[in-house]
Amino acid sequence: MDDSSALLPALLIAAGAGAGAWLLRRSWQRKDQKHGLVLGGWLLIAASLIWPAWVLGAARGVFVALALISTASLIVVASNYTVRQAKARAARESLAPEPSDRATTRWRETLRWLLAGPIGMIAAMGVGIAYAALVPGEQQTRLVVGGMIVPVAWGACMAWTLADNRILRATAVLVGVAIVSFTAAIVKGFA
Amino acid sequence: MTPAPASKPRKPKDLMSRIPAGFVRAVLRGHSSLGLAFAALIYLICLSGSIAVFAHEFQRWESAAAPQVTAVTPDAVQTAFEGAIARGGPGVEHVYITLPSADFPRLLLYVDAAEDRQYLADAKGQIVEGSAFAWTEFITRLHINLHLPQMWGGFLVGLIGVALLSSLISGILAHPRIFRDAFHLRLGGSKRLQEADLHNRLGVWALPFHILISLTGAFLGLTTIIVGVLGMAMFNGDVNKVYALFIPAPPVDDPRAAPVLDLRPMFAKLPQDGGRIEYVFTEHPTEMGGAALFNVKHPDRLAGTDSYAFRRDATIYNEKQAATNNLGEDILAASGTLHFGWFGGGIVKIVYFALGLGLTYLAASGVNIWLARRRDKGRPAPSWERAWAATVWGQPAGIAAAAVAALVADAIVPTIATWLAVSLVFLAATIRLPAERLSRIGSVATGALILIAAATHLALRGGIGAADGMAWIVNAALIAGGLFLILWARRRSVAAAKPAPVAAAA
Repeated sequence: MDDSSALLPALLIAAGAGAGAWLLRRSWQRKDQKHGLVLGGWLLIAASLIWPAWVLGAARGVFVALALISTASLIVVASNYTVRQAKARAARESLAPEPSDRATTRWRETLRWLLAGPIGMIAAMGVGIAYAALVPGEQQTRLVVGGMIVPVAWGACMAWTLADNRILRATAVLVGVAIVSFTAAIVKGFA
Repeated sequence: MTPAPASKPRKPKDLMSRIPAGFVRAVLRGHSSLGLAFAALIYLICLSGSIAVFAHEFQRWESAAAPQVTAVTPDAVQTAFEGAIARGGPGVEHVYITLPSADFPRLLLYVDAAEDRQYLADAKGQIVEGSAFAWTEFITRLHINLHLPQMWGGFLVGLIGVALLSSLISGILAHPRIFRDAFHLRLGGSKRLQEADLHNRLGVWALPFHILISLTGAFLGLTTIIVGVLGMAMFNGDVNKVYALFIPAPPVDDPRAAPVLDLRPMFAKLPQDGGRIEYVFTEHPTEMGGAALFNVKHPDRLAGTDSYAFRRDATIYNEKQAATNNLGEDILAASGTLHFGWFGGGIVKIVYFALGLGLTYLAASGVNIWLARRRDKGRPAPSWERAWAATVWGQPAGIAAAAVAALVADAIVPTIATWLAVSLVFLAATIRLPAERLSRIGSVATGALILIAAATHLALRGGIGAADGMAWIVNAALIAGGLFLILWARRRSVAAAKPAPVAAAA
């Protein structure tokens, strides 16, 4: 037996999520924070996320809805675009924040990328493996969740080390995390 | 004494607005560095991934003339299995059988022997012509391992997934107004501001999809190295102990020669509980130690595949019902399906394709913003602008050219060579052509090559009388896409030729 068709539920999800996004946009546009519009908008989006679980399968329905809610909301945003006229004011006067212009040296940049790359990876693996070793639960669940922690922790390390001006602090923290987590995991072992 | 004027109560700041400006600028610097370092690879992996969502449809397109098979009997599978082994040559180690489904109405057999081959069979199990899937193999392998050796390519793609995940984290932290401005989409005016609006709106509204894709992609890509480190740290270097927790133990090895494994009694022993047999993996099918693993998929479940492992004598030595999965087994089983969007039929694939192209654009627009910022500040980087235009348009053009090569040559090596050659031609063109012209030429070239791919398909792979209607849908989509790109380039040329309006001083 094949999966049940997602076509009709998808149209209903898109309609519900689109209506929800439209209500949120109405509230945003009025600038007076009408709570009814905000509440109604989020309720419609939440309902569009949840009800497909009963029709399309518990996990399957939610993930079908997740993809469609993003798409429907983007369609609402895209269909309400405005056209901006070019101004003579130099764009260099833009109010948007600018990246920091920190002074750096070659060895600091090298260390920064080492922290974001291999050292961050080792620290993230230590955290993931320590989770698998130390947290109670089914072996497979601990291993998979530990494995999922690795890219998240590594990504967070990258974001942090490439931003932080105090690079020695980042070095100390990552090396410390790697040593502590691997040691704890090896001492405890996997059971 | 006059009373102090009643001050208007200040509206409390939202959480994001409380982020200090210095922190925002530092994170923005990191976001910018990371994006620039990995932009080209993120772009290529997202573009190829968006196309790879339709891998089954492309396989049907490539084998349009092959018979459509909606159901098969165990006898037909056995006939096809024996036929594929007979044609597979010496040293058959494994045969992987994909049974027909609504998504992929073919009986496909992959023979892992001295030289790997794949075959299609009809509903009676007779091996038929038309099993060349060079294009599908090209696009899926480009996405999964960039055509590098499996381990290194997989690791690199996993690393890119991590970089993407990191960019999502820093992107949110670096833009305190990203949620407050969630409905602002202002086109026209300054290129930098337009690109920033598109970048931020796509980034925020499709954030759940972006997190899902980058997390599952990174996890799948890094699995080998994570398991390796885990094995070293906790299993005395034996990674097989880690895998043994998730997959059935291999059969006892017995290399004595034997007749081809008989799958029919195994089919008869599978429970009739509403599941659909998806795959049959056979191991050493011409040895006494031969075994077969049947995967039976249950409807409406992301991780709903039961597995039954049989010995040669059709006795079950391992069985695992998806209903008894724990959370970890469910997550693992669902990761690939969720990553590729293969769980909700055509509508979810179309949505994944659109959101995937959005993610691809996110990578491209990040660099566009950086280039526009430099230009606005009076420090343009024309050589980087050219290189980026060559990357952004060289890849789709190269992929489209690879489709033509795959249809003509029926082999993976010329397909990869064509993609590489077109990519290099675009990079070489940066010596002579400015970025804007490269973009227009790239758009026209991609459109034209897509149209040529559709024409080549009609000429060589079934033509008007293709047995599979999917071929018509794919060709129609290709023609529409090709024409769109050509007309879009033409529109950009006309717009560029118009004199710029004189801006009024404020």
